[in-house]
Amino acid sequence: MLCFVALAVFLFLSIFSAKYRPLARRAIDCVVKKATLRPCDTGLDEEIKAASISGIMKLSPQGASFLNRHFEAFSLAFTLLFFLSLFFAAQGLYNFVVYGNCNGFEGGFCVYSGLQNAAFLKAPASLDGVSAGNPGANVTLIEFGCYTCPYTKAAEDGVLGMISRYGGRMHYVYKAFPLPAHAYSREAALAAFCANDEGKYWEYRAALFENQSDVQTRGPAAFKDIADGLGLSGFDACYSSGKHNDLLQKSTDECTASGIYGTPTFFVNGKAFAGPGAVFDAENEVKRLLGE
Amino acid sequence: MDIKKIRADFPVLQSSKAIYFDSACTTLKPRAVIDAESSYYAELSACAGRSHHALAKKTEAAFEASRGKIARFVGAKPDELVFTKNTTEALNLVVRSLDYSTRKKIVTTPLEHHSLLLPIMEQKRREGLNVEYLSVASDGSIDEGSLPLIDRSTALVAIHHTTNTTGMRAPLEKIVKAAHDAGALVLVDGAQGVPHSRVDFSKLGADFLAFSGHKMCGPTGIGCLVGRKEAFEKLDTFIVGGETVETVSLSEVKWKRAPKRFEGGIQNYAGAIGLAAACDYLSRIGMQNIEEHEKKMAKLLIDAIQSIPNSTIYGSTSAPRSALVSFNLKGIAPHQAALMADSLSKIALRSGVFCAEPGMKALGAPKEGAVRASLYLYNTEEEVRVFAETMQKIAKL
Repeated sequence: MLCFVALAVFLFLSIFSAKYRPLARRAIDCVVKKATLRPCDTGLDEEIKAASISGIMKLSPQGASFLNRHFEAFSLAFTLLFFLSLFFAAQGLYNFVVYGNCNGFEGGFCVYSGLQNAAFLKAPASLDGVSAGNPGANVTLIEFGCYTCPYTKAAEDGVLGMISRYGGRMHYVYKAFPLPAHAYSREAALAAFCANDEGKYWEYRAALFENQSDVQTRGPAAFKDIADGLGLSGFDACYSSGKHNDLLQKSTDECTASGIYGTPTFFVNGKAFAGPGAVFDAENEVKRLLGE
Repeated sequence: MDIKKIRADFPVLQSSKAIYFDSACTTLKPRAVIDAESSYYAELSACAGRSHHALAKKTEAAFEASRGKIARFVGAKPDELVFTKNTTEALNLVVRSLDYSTRKKIVTTPLEHHSLLLPIMEQKRREGLNVEYLSVASDGSIDEGSLPLIDRSTALVAIHHTTNTTGMRAPLEKIVKAAHDAGALVLVDGAQGVPHSRVDFSKLGADFLAFSGHKMCGPTGIGCLVGRKEAFEKLDTFIVGGETVETVSLSEVKWKRAPKRFEGGIQNYAGAIGLAAACDYLSRIGMQNIEEHEKKMAKLLIDAIQSIPNSTIYGSTSAPRSALVSFNLKGIAPHQAALMADSLSKIALRSGVFCAEPGMKALGAPKEGAVRASLYLYNTEEEVRVFAETMQKIAKL
């Protein structure tokens, strides 16, 4: 079974090194024979098996024995996993090309996002948005986030930690970038603006992240429950009037102009950080700029 | 025999830390052979037997001196030795060139290497010959009770000196007698015999003896067919061309006598000089010493493999054999065992059916064949100990 995996691996390696081409040819021969229900007689399977078991034997004879006894099962599982991952990788690539994110409409972290170099993201022109810290500080941290995005939620502790630790020496700005892939993302951003009008933005934001799944399910009802819980008397009027539609549109336009392709994306003094470890990388940059 | 000193003669053993147990496939080459072969290109590089300039004469002298040395090594006269590409070509030469007009039977055994079996099968297909096989017992020995298969219709008895599957020897004395009593010629495949024991063609009694240079520390691409003059006369031409003829007109060809008659075209002079150097090298060490060393190694090998539970050795473990053992470990495919031995301890083993598929079947081996360890004069007891340890580990999988 492993010749199927070997074919893909050796074909890929053959692009970079000629020494893998004979192995790729043997793998092709083996795959063709397997596909036509003939036994693979290239010896490639045996070589892979012997090399694998010998490698394990140097570390653990028991492990090698176990692998030897169940090699076919391992081969089958490995091959199935390989094809499954190949399928998901292809599906992700398709979504990335068509929707701009490998998760399609759902959005979220996408490994292919790395294909778009964060260095090409442009820092926003303005510092409009909800802010914290010292507006006169030399270090500015801008976050493009979405209240209903699980990755923005995951980065929240890191963001609050930075505000807490470096608040006096750093200026933090949050720009809403509601991703259409997330249910009620736009409505959540509008609700947060309304809470900000009554000085309860941070409490409302915390509640949105804390109840993210409920918010995505119930939408306006959940927004109202949170507002009621925080005693926001003017929330209903604000939310239903669409008072902050223009503000949100401006924020969204800024995000689009910056070339943002996912949330959260950070800018530290204009330098962009995107991807799974962005909040940590952003903090490292903040620390570097603060001389820590 | 000073094995340490012998090992120092082989450059590969200095540059590679491999334990080389694949000498039945091809042996390693000592420095003396490498130097001798390259000396042709560095110092001669001319044709033999054609031109009359000084370099050509020197080449001719070196080539014929090599023929003489190699012939003496196997107890033959120089004009009894034909240079070939290898054993395969030598065997083909006899089987394909013999006159089968009056006798239409070849007797052989199922244990033969494909190099002998296939020419016989091809000749059967082309000339409608009758091919019969001497019986082989489960321990790999030839059943002498089947010798009456050799009768007055037999043109040729073709048989190994030593098999490449078990390292056991054929009872040549009895077979040669039975063949000659019936008026048949005897062709001996000496590829695995000549390198490992003293083979004296004059005493062997056979009509032809074939062997290769590369299996006896010599270069690749050079082999020999030794034959009695009268036997050569019974062969038709094989590969014809330059230097195989006395005179040629467009209506008539007068062929030379053997050995030149069978040496068409420019010969492998470098190979012949290298093989002669190999004969010198082996003679200096002594074929008797090499045979004794191999007996000891064979016993160690057999003991090592027999100590592994559920291992199978093909062929008799008590009959004399060269240091060659084919075996299987229960539950481990032969290719896997050989590949793992290489990966774990850099032991070079052969696995498969060793170009002797019917032979391995006759010995009871599975379709995948077996693992073969074949040792030579440069192998040590320590190497066999490492081999034993490694095989024990693999067998425990």
